[in-house]
Amino acid sequence: MIDIRGLTWRFDGAPRPALQEITLRIEPGELVVISGPSGCGKSTLALAMGGYLFQQYHGQAEGSVEVGGLDVRQVPIYRAAEIVGLVQQNPENQFCTLNVMDELAFALENRRYPPAEIRQQIAWALEVVGAAHLRDRALATLSGGEKQKVAIASMLVGRPQVLILDEPTSSLDPAATRAVLEAIGRLRQEAGLTVVIIEHKTAYLEPLRPRRILMREGRIVPGGGAAALRAEVAWPPARPPAARAPGAEPLVRVEGLSFAHGEAPVLREVSLAVYPGELVAVMGRNGSGKTTLLRCLLGLAKPTAGEVRVAGRDVRRTPVSTLARDVGLIFQNPDHQIFADSVWAEAVFAPYNLGLADGADARAEALLADYGLLPYRDQHPYRLSYGEKRRLNLAAVLSYAPPVLLLDEVLVGQDPANAAFLLGQLTQLAAAGRAIVHVTHDPLTTLRYADRLVFLDDGRVIVDDAPEAAFARLEATGYQPYLPLYDLPAGEG
Amino acid sequence: MARQRLAYRPGRSWLHRLHPLVKLGWLALLSLALFVAPTGALVAVTLAVALLALWATGLRSWREFPGLRLLLPTCALLFVLQALFRREGEVVVRLWPFGGGALPVTDAGLAVGWLISGRFLAIILLSYALLLSTEPNDLAYALMAAGLPYRYGFMLVTALRLMPIFELEGNTVYDAQLARGVRYDARSPLRLLTLLRRLLLPLLVSALGKVDALAVSMEGRGFGQYPDRTFLREVRMSRRDWWAAAWLALAAVALVVWWVSGG
Repeated sequence: MIDIRGLTWRFDGAPRPALQEITLRIEPGELVVISGPSGCGKSTLALAMGGYLFQQYHGQAEGSVEVGGLDVRQVPIYRAAEIVGLVQQNPENQFCTLNVMDELAFALENRRYPPAEIRQQIAWALEVVGAAHLRDRALATLSGGEKQKVAIASMLVGRPQVLILDEPTSSLDPAATRAVLEAIGRLRQEAGLTVVIIEHKTAYLEPLRPRRILMREGRIVPGGGAAALRAEVAWPPARPPAARAPGAEPLVRVEGLSFAHGEAPVLREVSLAVYPGELVAVMGRNGSGKTTLLRCLLGLAKPTAGEVRVAGRDVRRTPVSTLARDVGLIFQNPDHQIFADSVWAEAVFAPYNLGLADGADARAEALLADYGLLPYRDQHPYRLSYGEKRRLNLAAVLSYAPPVLLLDEVLVGQDPANAAFLLGQLTQLAAAGRAIVHVTHDPLTTLRYADRLVFLDDGRVIVDDAPEAAFARLEATGYQPYLPLYDLPAGEG
Repeated sequence: MARQRLAYRPGRSWLHRLHPLVKLGWLALLSLALFVAPTGALVAVTLAVALLALWATGLRSWREFPGLRLLLPTCALLFVLQALFRREGEVVVRLWPFGGGALPVTDAGLAVGWLISGRFLAIILLSYALLLSTEPNDLAYALMAAGLPYRYGFMLVTALRLMPIFELEGNTVYDAQLARGVRYDARSPLRLLTLLRRLLLPLLVSALGKVDALAVSMEGRGFGQYPDRTFLREVRMSRRDWWAAAWLALAAVALVVWWVSGG
């Protein structure tokens, strides 16, 4: 179905090729998972299979790419797209309309299909991905998993022979991840598609028994299956829950916290305490109030009821600029928190703003060296890779050494090596006495590295316990999708 | 915190159910009439229609009107300027009564002040009623069905889709800056410019990424492949819409006749 021979691609102005001598053959009906570190060329290869690379980007190509017998280097995108559908990483970025029906009709309307046929195709595509109940919904009202299903269905309506999915589950909660993977399974059974998935979280795909391909530095690693991938990643050792010092006072104390957006409650009577040296994981489905909880802890959202004290201060009576001296907050998307013109300026941005410049330069220098960023000291931060930006985010917060760290899904989109590095840093920071609240969708890393798991559902804390006990309670109360699926002997997340 | 925005309010009122193009046509005609036939009476009638339309959208309190704090002072300023600086007409009152009187306000000044400020207010309120009662997506599809080239129609749809996303991202960037000690209470213009640049740069980078993704998505789904396309969605004209359109046509003819005959 896909036949790539000797493909080399260099983007104009790039020092080295993004793809080097790629030769790959994928048979009809196969499910192939391509993984590898960030920047290894996975997404570029996906763009090449869809023909986009040759029509929309500037660069030099060698070799051939045939999909379904069509030379996608030579044909216009719309012609290649009749055979290959590409579902991008973030469904939000690929939607062209506002409603499910409009979105699914979009491709067929552009190809001038008559309305009756469009309706038939939409019904079929929604059925295959298990989303028939979503047909009359506005896209803005869908959950992350529902959006991903609609994005897949919107490619499926044109009846392509190949579907390429670029990290389809990267920002989904475990329940939504499973639902999307079930939908992908049905694609092969019911639509007979050839499916190519670009993914870091390959463990979740195990039930689909895919063929695995590992890429590194633009090349396919010969014999690169799961074992090769595991061997490349040095996961930090699992840590036992931290012992709480007798008489210790919590750095974060939340009692009866409620918060509402207008009339809609988001958090309901949340109580929790985080002590120095604790790494607390916060899990729950998308929209359960996890991010709002973090915002309340820094005073960015003011509680409608209850009390929140952080480092001894009442967040309702303390300005954010004062709280921020004791609390570091990192959001999910690295690009949303880079404000300075150089890596160095970014690293020292917060301490100088917060009046904590004493020792900040030395700390920043040491952090940049530890995080492998010192060679880029004078570069603009936007020129860093995704993983490097994430490390810079952490350095930019640690340069003023706040005792409390709030992390919102910081592992999303990170390759296993970088995720392992970040988790190693977090365990060290906890061991050094910091209180860390880590919002995450990953049960496996929670089990291995967190001291406690706080599970939110519909704005309420339903479990707050050591991870093993917490997962046992979740299992007993019907939250199976949130349990760790696999062990991590040598590991992947 | 939830903020009031200029946005569609779902509803089933007569105004909500009116065809988007008919509403747009009435807005255009009334706005045109206010310029072609500038009389105080027409301004008053149009203002009354605008208030009725706003009531139909479900708006029940001035507090739900987000732009009011800017709109009303602007109208008042337009009125005061005309009243103070128009010299023609009979003097109605002198604002400075001492020493023979100064700052005269004339009846013509008051009339022109009412005309200009009332016209401005009426057009804004009518447009607001259209926004509140019309799903923007319906308007875009109705325009395309009426002949607007679909490339332009989808520019509107894309803008509608991306606006809330950018608003959300803007809030995240703002929060991230507060968390890193950025203070937004600066008064120096230079400092404000720096703050603005720091706020906009991450949004710009994000927007460029989105444009790339959207281009891949649209081209991959045949957008632009043909000069025309089919539409699954139909925004149908009901009997009520046809009546409203007929009255619109009649009113337009009356306006033209009135204008051609010299008012």
